Amino acid sequence: MRTLLLGVTLGAVSTAALSAQPAAAQPAADAGVRHQVYVACESSDEVYRVGFDGREAVVERVIQVGYQPTEVEGPHGLTVSLDGAHWFVSIAHGKPFGLLYKYRVDDDELVAECELGMFPATMQISPVTGLLYCVNFNLHGRMLPSTVSIVDPEAMVEVGRTPTGPMPHGSRLSADGQHHYSCAMMSGHLFEIDASTFEVVRDLQLDVEPPEGHESEAKPTWVQPHPTRREAYCALNAKATVAVVDLDRWVVTRRLSTGKGPYNLEVSPDGRRMVVTYKGDGAIGIWDLETYEELARLPSTRGVTHGVVISPDSRYAFVTAEGKGAEPGALDIVDLERLEKVAAVDVGLQAGGIAYRRAEAP
Amino acid sequence: MIAIFRRQLVFCGSALLCSLGAAQDAPAPDGDAEHQLRVEPPSLTLPVGQKAQLSAEILDIGGRPVEGDVFFFSRARRSVRVGRDGEVMAVKPGTFEVVARSMIAGERGPQATVEIIVPQPEPAKIALDGAPAKLFVGTSVRLVGAVLDKNDVERTDLEVELRSSDPAVAALDPFGHVTGLTPGQVVIRARGGGLSQDHRLEVVPNPVARLTLDTAAEVVRTGDVVRFDARTFDGSGAEVKGVPVLYTFVAQPDDTLGNAATGQIEQDGRFVGEKPGLYTVIATCGAAVARRTVRCTERFPEPQRLVKVGHGPVLDVHTSDLWVWEGVDGRDYCVTGTWGADGEALFWDVTDPSRIERIAAVKVDARTVNDVKVSEDGRLCVLSREGASNRKNGIVLIDVEDPRKPSVLAEFTDELTGGVHNLFIDKGYVYALSAGRRYDVIDVRQPKAPTKVGSFQLFEPGASIHDVWVEDGIAYSSNWRYGLRLVDVGNGIAGGSPSNPVEFGNYAYPSGWNHAAFPFNSPDTGKFYVLAGDEAFPYGLNVRNDPTYPRGWVHFVDFSDLQNPSEVARYEVPEAGTHNLWIEGTTLYVAYYNGGVRVVDISGDLMGDLYRQGREIAWFLPTHPKGVVPNAPMVWGPQPYKGHIFFSDWNSGLWAVKLVEGRRRRRG
Repeated sequence: MRTLLLGVTLGAVSTAALSAQPAAAQPAADAGVRHQVYVACESSDEVYRVGFDGREAVVERVIQVGYQPTEVEGPHGLTVSLDGAHWFVSIAHGKPFGLLYKYRVDDDELVAECELGMFPATMQISPVTGLLYCVNFNLHGRMLPSTVSIVDPEAMVEVGRTPTGPMPHGSRLSADGQHHYSCAMMSGHLFEIDASTFEVVRDLQLDVEPPEGHESEAKPTWVQPHPTRREAYCALNAKATVAVVDLDRWVVTRRLSTGKGPYNLEVSPDGRRMVVTYKGDGAIGIWDLETYEELARLPSTRGVTHGVVISPDSRYAFVTAEGKGAEPGALDIVDLERLEKVAAVDVGLQAGGIAYRRAEAP
Repeated sequence: MIAIFRRQLVFCGSALLCSLGAAQDAPAPDGDAEHQLRVEPPSLTLPVGQKAQLSAEILDIGGRPVEGDVFFFSRARRSVRVGRDGEVMAVKPGTFEVVARSMIAGERGPQATVEIIVPQPEPAKIALDGAPAKLFVGTSVRLVGAVLDKNDVERTDLEVELRSSDPAVAALDPFGHVTGLTPGQVVIRARGGGLSQDHRLEVVPNPVARLTLDTAAEVVRTGDVVRFDARTFDGSGAEVKGVPVLYTFVAQPDDTLGNAATGQIEQDGRFVGEKPGLYTVIATCGAAVARRTVRCTERFPEPQRLVKVGHGPVLDVHTSDLWVWEGVDGRDYCVTGTWGADGEALFWDVTDPSRIERIAAVKVDARTVNDVKVSEDGRLCVLSREGASNRKNGIVLIDVEDPRKPSVLAEFTDELTGGVHNLFIDKGYVYALSAGRRYDVIDVRQPKAPTKVGSFQLFEPGASIHDVWVEDGIAYSSNWRYGLRLVDVGNGIAGGSPSNPVEFGNYAYPSGWNHAAFPFNSPDTGKFYVLAGDEAFPYGLNVRNDPTYPRGWVHFVDFSDLQNPSEVARYEVPEAGTHNLWIEGTTLYVAYYNGGVRVVDISGDLMGDLYRQGREIAWFLPTHPKGVVPNAPMVWGPQPYKGHIFFSDWNSGLWAVKLVEGRRRRRG
């Protein structure tokens, strides 16, 4: 099961030294391992490739994406294929439907595309079905139930589309890859989809008081299952709360008070830490998942903190901050052992989605 | 919970193992190499509308059954549907793949791919378009044959061969033209797809013994559409009606140095010349021939040119749209947007176009203020927002009673959260684009309390709206590959209103580049055109450092018959690309991106390529060495105003130019 978990989370990583284990067993400063991430910049239609050697973060490459040059197309979600050979980015604004682009990791060249639904956003690939699940966020304001697009990433064709709720976001899979989770931001629901039947099997209202219509007070924006426990964590953006969901009993068991506007979150591969982006506060929350206590709250380099991914060794969190207007976006790197920000680098406008590319040995 | 298809094996003989064949894929990279997946049947031919069941078994390396789960999916689900349990239904002809993928003990197992062949439906009949019952000797018509299936869908993979039973009576050429040669009966046989169909054709004597060819003018200008009227008479001198006449022409351009094609003629007798010279129009009917020569002269013997009057530079960020208006104080103002920047709209005093003065800026939460418009009374400005940090975007209403102190009155984001790319304001209503396929109508008569009152949406799958322009109660939207849509929002032609938009006309063209729309009631001809502007970047867009080379042109769509619009003319500058446009009187102003701003005469009837006909009056290329892209014209939008032409340039800001007599001065 541990192997499977790594496959889900790490994608390209093959270095044995990077297998998940308690941080205490990690060599100091990663012995020169170079981490690489992709960052999607929603208002400049760029994807940045950033490298981090344990000390300094450097922009290695900027990849222009999209096909409507004078329009803001909004690259949003990112993920890397299970074999690490390709990366994928969702292009949110289309004519009117958005696209999924597939790039080669080795040279960042576009190799295929596939039309999805309205405003495709976050995505992940299941290790057991081999399919990619991408929520169609449909940001356009008419509060209709939207869908999750299910894509065969090898052939780059949409093979299914599962209706869920209005503005689904936070497309994440269970560690075994058999269940897909997303939150409907405007109705306050958590949806569970069977990854192989493509059917919704359960939904859970995350608001304390069930909302009328599409007026969720909680406005959940993200969900992430724990790698080993039968738990999932939902960012309730409008309630400054992370809801802990017992996946067996299918109930909310805890509500953790966070900074303002928890937006995305990520659980470390070793299951010990949870990093939450506080969009409203422009801050990063680091949580201990044994005690459910917030260990640290760090300011982002820019406001509007957005996405997070954690390195396969559970050591570093890579966190994007959008900024505002003409401010460049920023990527902050947080050392999860020292609980401090150790590097930052400017990227393009409205930095949002993020994915771990790979780790390179020195 | 819906259980997935589970196949527990009961039997597997060696004969079956030998038949794994085509359906067997190598195990998936992350699958289990010790297992194989067998799908039956390994390939399938399935007619449209029919269903079949696939079954799957997981086998170990020794061919023994293994417990596991299998699910199916189609790699062409709009052509072949498959349930997760393997039930297949054919929807469209072609060859497709269905994938069976397995899971063993929670891990990914092997997969198999099944080829599904959906044959074309059998041919059912042959349709023969354009086939008359009678044909006059010496005349031709073109026949077009097509094989149709039982659903009347054309089998484009099958050709139709035409033959005449008596080529001495009626001859066919390889392109389907049949010409009557001598009186008699023939059968035109169409064959294709194993079918044949006969069409009886009677070639009758041509009564026409004499033709006359008249025209109203002998000397015209290039670009003037001249009508030639052929009349046919029999041997007794009586006029004959209903016999087709073929029009063609011979050109003798004044410039004989390898000049290119120089005119266009339609079979209703309308002709237009592109270059100065003599044009001999020839009409034929059977043996009768008539000819008439006209001279085309230079359209503009006295050249005009655009000269710079003023420039309001914006050199740090890209400039988007503009709007010029007379303020309540009687002075003239302009607002411009910014693109990919800090969410600013810039306000200018342009009362003296030679001294354009930047007077104010409003910053909103956005990266791009793509569109800017001002109400007819000059008091209310509306800005579109994209890239807002809170992703609510929408529109912002600005009080511009004193443009030197513009102030935000309100914002409106309801159902506009995906970003507003374009908008228009008309008689107290804002038309704001949203969701890629909709524009909402917002009542802003109380600008501090805007209210949505209506909406217009394209419901066709994949349809997308790019821009909307409102004039005389009609909203003209430009919709990429869905072309132009004409919607009554208060005109009365279709009973529409702002709260009840009613579509009454549409036209689309194949390129899918439709980006702008502008109506034109031709005072000279009474015709009603809608001009459709393209936008295309086949060679990409360079935001910094290098110039961009867009493409596209202006399409002239004659909407005089609303039910049958037709594209009759174009204005296409070679090696350049259109953006926004404006018409004042019979003059067209085009923001032609890298081609600068262009002024075009669209008086009179319109036919063919107006650029090649010399209808262009003048052009101007704005450049600035410190532009966002230095020295690279990229004109975004034009607006003629009080005798000047204002325009925004993506790389260098706001410009004012003026049309003057005389040739461009040359050095040396």
